[in-house]
Amino acid sequence: MENKDKQGRRKFITQSALALLSASIGSKIVFGENLTEDIQPLGLDDKGAGRLIPGKSDKLKILNDKPWNAETPPHLLDPEVTPASLMFVRNNGIPPEEVDIDTWTLEIDGESVKQKKTYTLKELAQKFQHYSYNLTLECGGNGRAEFNPPAKGNQWGLGAVACTKWTGVRLKDVLNDVGLKDDAVYIGYYGADTHLSGDPGKVVISRGVPIAKAMEEETLLAWAMNDQPIPVMNGFPLRLVIGGWPASVSGKWLTRISVRDKVHDGPKMEGQSYRIPKFPVPPGTKVPDEHMKIIESMPVKSIITYPKTGAIVGKGKSVEVRGHAWAGDLEVKEMHVSIDFGVSWKKCELKAPKNRLAWQRWSIDLTLPEFGYYEVWARATDENGKSQPMVLPGWNPKGYLNNACHRIALKQA
Amino acid sequence: MEEKDKKNLLLRQAKITLNFGVIVLVFCVLWLMQHSIFPKMFDFSAVEEPIISEADNLTPYEPLLELDSADIENGIHVPSGLIVDDGVDIVMTTCGACHSLSLVTQNRATKEGWKDIIVWMQETQKLWDLGDNEEIILNYLAKNYAPENEGRRRNLVVEEWYNL
Repeated sequence: MENKDKQGRRKFITQSALALLSASIGSKIVFGENLTEDIQPLGLDDKGAGRLIPGKSDKLKILNDKPWNAETPPHLLDPEVTPASLMFVRNNGIPPEEVDIDTWTLEIDGESVKQKKTYTLKELAQKFQHYSYNLTLECGGNGRAEFNPPAKGNQWGLGAVACTKWTGVRLKDVLNDVGLKDDAVYIGYYGADTHLSGDPGKVVISRGVPIAKAMEEETLLAWAMNDQPIPVMNGFPLRLVIGGWPASVSGKWLTRISVRDKVHDGPKMEGQSYRIPKFPVPPGTKVPDEHMKIIESMPVKSIITYPKTGAIVGKGKSVEVRGHAWAGDLEVKEMHVSIDFGVSWKKCELKAPKNRLAWQRWSIDLTLPEFGYYEVWARATDENGKSQPMVLPGWNPKGYLNNACHRIALKQA
Repeated sequence: MEEKDKKNLLLRQAKITLNFGVIVLVFCVLWLMQHSIFPKMFDFSAVEEPIISEADNLTPYEPLLELDSADIENGIHVPSGLIVDDGVDIVMTTCGACHSLSLVTQNRATKEGWKDIIVWMQETQKLWDLGDNEEIILNYLAKNYAPENEGRRRNLVVEEWYNL
């Protein structure tokens, strides 16, 4: 009975979310009403590998089930716009269970606002102009699994990255409506997720960006992803989306933004979290907090999304190798692949991004010269001429920013 | 002349019978393949249709409270994924009280490194004083989840080769 009530409530919430979206986007979401009803809950094992993440594909690789953390196998990232069910999940706490979009509010406060202001979702959607951008979000710890000596935390491989279409309003329009003082330095977000310890007063994570990044045109307060409500695990009903920086600055289940007169000091802003040494250190070094700096733009990186590693190619046949490349705040200028471990590099066709901070498609037709085992190594170069390293980049205590070349194995039959 | 016609007719009949036989054989082989080797051969709807869990499916996380010896396979406690060794029960109930045990099994550190992680959890994540259990937990983790030296890039591991 309780379960039924809950289902009924969720259904109500979903329907009203869709009504809001339809109203605000101006188009009807045709299959919205089928979203939850037609899919029967699957018989699931309560513990371990049989568990599925709500709203997510069973093809994601689950790293952690409390809190939920899961990544996308690289070959499933092939579409230009990542499907919602395949976008990675990186949670620090427990997402809110009951969400009512009619009463959900966003408060803007902090030392550097002229006055506090609170908006309902409806007010945000009605008062400000809407924008949609394809934005690349990558976890700062993507690639951590390869660092040696190992860094603690979720051992991400390649798939804590996605590029989806986000729709919402510009943060700068809202901040301008609130009115900022001249001493504004940073923003910090707060969300409705709860701490693993169960302490309701403990903030899970509260990070942010400097004012200049917050005021960029592509920085959104988003309520839709791929023209649908944001998946529960990715921040429903409202989140910040700040492309090109560690995805942890894009706060989920957003309830409050503080405009600060100093660098924001919420949990996971300070200490060693999302920070790297100010100068290069030998692997395994203990670096004191005062010698660490905040990660800002993510480095240049690329993935091979087709073919899936392990392909056997027929003799004399050519194979299209393709993927995506991105470079934080910058654009990717060139893309190369090597099938001889970096002895020679072939230039790939590289498309312009759909909009700033979206990843770029690349492709090349390859023919393997003779029978044997090959690895395709992919290397992107950004507009400043910086390329991906073939070996692991500089070691850092928490294992961030691994942008080493992605490789796949191929054989010629 | 008549003799030749009769011969040709017989030959044609023989050919028809033979062709028919071959066709029947081919169908038999196909049916066998479909039935016992590739049951999904003609089921095009079954190809790459991912299962998507729906939002109502939020089953709460339940910590494992006791170690049942029936759950042990090849030295691994299957529900938690932990290596079975001295102290595994304490690790399971202590660490598993707050977070998934996959956060333990996917990490590697020295004894000093595991101690740092415990201190960090005590300072920032509300972990309690572990008392005498701390030494047991540290010894278990340092022995069973120690770092391996893997160089600047390890060899690729291909789970499955397939024809493109």
